Amino acid sequence: MRRWLAVLVWAAGAFGAGPKFYDDDPLLEEPAPRDASRAVRRKLSDYYDFFHHTFATPGDRRAIPALGVNTLGDPMDGAWYERRHYWRRMSIEELQRGPIRTGPPSRSARWKVVGVKNEGVTPGFQIRDSANRLYFVKFDPLCCAEMATAADQIANKLLYALGYHVPENHIVYFTRDDLELAPGVQIEDALGRKRPVSSRDISEILLKVPRDSQGRYRATASLALPGKPLGPYRYYGTRSDDPNDTVPHEHRRDLRALHVASAWIDHDDSRAINTLDVLEDWKGVKYIKHYQLDLGSTLGSGSTKMNSARSGGEYLFAWKPAAVQFFTLGLHVPWWARAHFPNMPSVGRFESKVFDPDKWAPEYPNPAFLNRLPDDEFWMAKQIVNITDEEIRAIVRTGELSDPKAEQYLAACLIERRDKIGRAAFAKVLPLDRFRIEGGVLRWSDLAQEHGYGGVGPVQLRWHRFDNASGQATPWDAALRDWPRGYWMAELSASRRPSQRVRVYVRSDGASPRIVGVEHQWRNPAP
Amino acid sequence: MPQEPATRREAIERERDRKSAELKPETVSRPEAFLRDLKDKKLLERISYGYNGLRAAMGNMATGSGFALGPEFHREDLLGGNLTTRLTALMSTRRWLKCEGEATLPQLAGGNVVAGVHALHRNYSSVDYYGPGPDSGRGGRSTYRFEDTRVSAGGGWRVLRFVRVGGRSGYVWTNVGPGDRKGAISADRLFAEPVLPGIERQTNFTENTALLQFDWRDDPLGPKTGGNYVVQQTWYSDRVFGRYSFRRLDLDVQQYFGFFNKVRRFAFRAKAALTDVDAGQSVPFYMQPTIGGADDLRGFRAYRFSDRNAMSLTGEYRWEIFSGLDGALFADAGKVFPRRGQMNFAHLESSVGFGLRANARNRTFLRVDVGFSHEGFAVFVKFNDIFQPRPFGVSQIPLGY
Repeated sequence: MRRWLAVLVWAAGAFGAGPKFYDDDPLLEEPAPRDASRAVRRKLSDYYDFFHHTFATPGDRRAIPALGVNTLGDPMDGAWYERRHYWRRMSIEELQRGPIRTGPPSRSARWKVVGVKNEGVTPGFQIRDSANRLYFVKFDPLCCAEMATAADQIANKLLYALGYHVPENHIVYFTRDDLELAPGVQIEDALGRKRPVSSRDISEILLKVPRDSQGRYRATASLALPGKPLGPYRYYGTRSDDPNDTVPHEHRRDLRALHVASAWIDHDDSRAINTLDVLEDWKGVKYIKHYQLDLGSTLGSGSTKMNSARSGGEYLFAWKPAAVQFFTLGLHVPWWARAHFPNMPSVGRFESKVFDPDKWAPEYPNPAFLNRLPDDEFWMAKQIVNITDEEIRAIVRTGELSDPKAEQYLAACLIERRDKIGRAAFAKVLPLDRFRIEGGVLRWSDLAQEHGYGGVGPVQLRWHRFDNASGQATPWDAALRDWPRGYWMAELSASRRPSQRVRVYVRSDGASPRIVGVEHQWRNPAP
Repeated sequence: MPQEPATRREAIERERDRKSAELKPETVSRPEAFLRDLKDKKLLERISYGYNGLRAAMGNMATGSGFALGPEFHREDLLGGNLTTRLTALMSTRRWLKCEGEATLPQLAGGNVVAGVHALHRNYSSVDYYGPGPDSGRGGRSTYRFEDTRVSAGGGWRVLRFVRVGGRSGYVWTNVGPGDRKGAISADRLFAEPVLPGIERQTNFTENTALLQFDWRDDPLGPKTGGNYVVQQTWYSDRVFGRYSFRRLDLDVQQYFGFFNKVRRFAFRAKAALTDVDAGQSVPFYMQPTIGGADDLRGFRAYRFSDRNAMSLTGEYRWEIFSGLDGALFADAGKVFPRRGQMNFAHLESSVGFGLRANARNRTFLRVDVGFSHEGFAVFVKFNDIFQPRPFGVSQIPLGY
């Protein structure tokens, strides 16, 4: 019994002492941000990030409910997140447009190259168009035309639909003649020495870039974010110079649940280096907005080459799997090594048959991902399964893959991975959501049934009168029709899922009841 | 006592109040700043590149040399990247000396043609020698000094995607003297002509080489599938005595089979060096192929067997332990033999063992092999891949591929 009790993990209230609900709950938007204009730019080390996360345990690893959410369990619209497709169905056009508000670089004049990166494995340009807009231009590797640019485009649109802040990216095609070198541009050589860029440097970079059948170069043009870049955010702790950043990142629901979204799109590069804090303006106040970026290493792409088969399967290093491999002489074959990948250079290595959302892992441990609980996974999974087959295909089309088979394959993989995520996450908590009161009666949707994953069966409902100050719930056996003034708690359970419940809180002013809180509860299975 | 907040907004604002009272600039720890600067300021690259191309070089001498260190001048940016040069002088802990210079034009014909000149001087003071033929005994180890100076010019042409031809012509000055390894007898005190051709007097050669290569490895610097097949013929002509002219045929067949998405691999290599001479000619012992050591028979000491011909077979099973480390189980077989007609699978010496390969960007930069044979075991720590193109013995320069 003790052991059994020891593994009971019931979600608790997210807000600690004081009343469970305030009058303004649920808050859908973060309060207006405070001025963060004194925040300074700082750069992190990706080497350190790897070693620190691989061999140490940064952040708070307690299994506590997610923070940074309202009483419905949703992150509030603001600097980190925005409730989008799940809450307000976006049209196909909106999904395809994603974060695009400005448009691709203007073609009314040649693009001015104002920055060049030639060394290293990811060459690229910075260009300004005739409207003086700055874009970062990145390419596909020679091995795999369309792969990285398509992956970036598709992942960018999917993460946008899921509510994350992402930059405005475009696929562009151009020739050498479309570029002209701006005066005074410098380039760093392999030793970090700067020298003026020559026209030949531009041509040399383009030698490393595949061309299409019309001789054009294809690239991702990413519009510079509208503010001052401050460097990446970490997946633990808070920014010490941001008054609005009060919730430890490792406990933010949007970051914990990003694990599920990352698994979907195989964003194994989901680490600090691929995020960016930007000092932006909101009604005259400078605040820090948090972006996901550099998504060219998603789906089957490893940016500069195809993804490795290991991608998403295992950390780059972990003691236990390494020991298993060492002592079994490799006779133990990891699950991910059995995957079959099609010979499609524009797709890279992406598949759905052996994909297992519960086993998926980024390149190295991510504190927020490790802190995720079943309700975090459910929160993201419900958004992912809400994206229909047709919508996925429409988003995949924004990758502008020239091979229709590659496009079909990619969409089919995303659909199958989506369904695996739904099945896995909906098995861990009662997949009941979209609570509403219709005609004075509490209604909900069984998402597992709705999406064809097998419903939870008959749901039992028990009402309680809820004391908001003390948190005490008293069973209420009478029928709730006229909604007396006060707080009410509905406890939903299903006989097929005895260890899972959902609590729905309703506040009534005596006339119009309103749902103010939702909590998914579960009990871990015996170890 | 502050009052309880009345609204959620107020509760959040209080958290912000608390945070605002302790705002401070974002910083990174000193270890993180160090690692960040290491990358951003390209410190490793600068150390590797040196001062205007002048840097320290390590290793890359020969098995048995001990640790080698010396200055190197290396530039890849001359003529806009169309000319690379390298000048190296290495001295090892066993006082072996190697000086080398080369200039290469790597970008001719769009990178399909390579041409260059090469000069080399080596003075290896204590190369092991166990006696001629396959029946030499482990206890018969002696030592000799090997010196050579070479100049050559050559080039390669990628005829087709997988096919390359090449050639090289040069001149070789050789010298052999008493070895100075402590506790080991000098070879010249054990052997004399004609048992050991070239032990009493050394000659100079012209050296002409032709090469044909078919290479379809997926990644030549870290292959996981595909193959590499090379035939190289070299003509050595004695320019002093007219007694030591010979021909040497090098064959190298490598085959890689990757499975389970290439995280498991079988790698095989068959290698042979065959010499032949016209009547009245012989192959100097110091130009004869040897086997044993880190590259072929890993259960035996370096240069353990020597004769006019040699062959070796190596098979490795490699598996990924984690993304930066592979394990390997291997079996080697090989022999030396006086006549070409004895090239068969009879009387092979063999060894088995295990190893670890540390990789970065799919390149092996460090390997540790432990080989076992009926003569005991040997441990090798090498900063290279086992199947890199290295010829048998110390006398040859790397094959032209």
